[in-house]
Amino acid sequence: MDNGLKYIGAGIAMLGVIGSGIGEGRICAHALDGMARNPEATSSLRGTMILGCAIDETTGIYSLIVAILCLFI
Amino acid sequence: MTTLALDISNMFKLDFSGEVIMSLIVMLIICILSVIIFFVFRKKDPTKPDHGFTMVVETAVEKIQNFVVETMGRKYEGFTGYVLTLALYIFLCFFLGITGLPNALISLQVPLSIGLCTFVMIHAVAIHKNKWKYYKRFTSPLAVFLPINLISMWAPLLSLTLRLFGNALSGYIIMSIMYYYLGALSDVIFGGFVAQGLSSIWIAPIITPWLHMYFDLFTGAIQTLVFIVLTMIWISQEDPDESIEENVTLKEELA
Repeated sequence: MDNGLKYIGAGIAMLGVIGSGIGEGRICAHALDGMARNPEATSSLRGTMILGCAIDETTGIYSLIVAILCLFI
Repeated sequence: MTTLALDISNMFKLDFSGEVIMSLIVMLIICILSVIIFFVFRKKDPTKPDHGFTMVVETAVEKIQNFVVETMGRKYEGFTGYVLTLALYIFLCFFLGITGLPNALISLQVPLSIGLCTFVMIHAVAIHKNKWKYYKRFTSPLAVFLPINLISMWAPLLSLTLRLFGNALSGYIIMSIMYYYLGALSDVIFGGFVAQGLSSIWIAPIITPWLHMYFDLFTGAIQTLVFIVLTMIWISQEDPDESIEENVTLKEELA
């Protein structure tokens, strides 16, 4: 019973990546809007977009760490 | 025999598992590189143009110095050494993962130490610039916010640590799973044709280089960039008096 609950807990913990996926999509959407309006700012927008995506990814990684903790410790 | 709450019987035994040795190897590579650069640049004539190795090193240092000055301002130019060392360590840790050796950042102590360096630096700069007004940040809007501010001062440390740890650990776990199952698949396919020990090595080298390219090189570059940008922004935010005209890069100044 305890072993099964571990896997259920890990599965519920991974629901946190939904927010990460939605957020990164919105980041790239707004960056594309900006690039379409102003093509000469492309490189600066692209750099900021990648930085923003990496920071957004962190909350998804927090939920991954909690799931790994549930499974293995 | 009663069980102790804190068992110290293992306290002074050293742990030499793979990740600790990889951290020492990365440190050794950086030390050797620094010594080589020192001796090459000592006997280089400053008036002659650069070739090869000296050009690469000077371009790298100049790019990072421009980046630091552009993000933090002209008077923080001395932080180039700190930022360059951090960037080199983190990128080299991820880069050596393409050889199949474990990443030094998968043990929690290494990202925590790197995060602690930045955390101490942030608060040291804050105390140096603000002196006694540093303590005003804890009762910032109102005095009842003291517990919230005390907890939220650890947020930068936590996010820096867990970002590196999570990326390294997830990459390592996925690559281990891929290597194991591709070996088993290759065993199933080639088990009848080849000798027993050599049948599991034929499918993994086709698929895993692309995975290494994403999990080690791409993730390493992006996490390095994020770490140094966050370090620079958090340190430069501690300055109470900023002026915009200080953000001049080296090229613009020479022109």
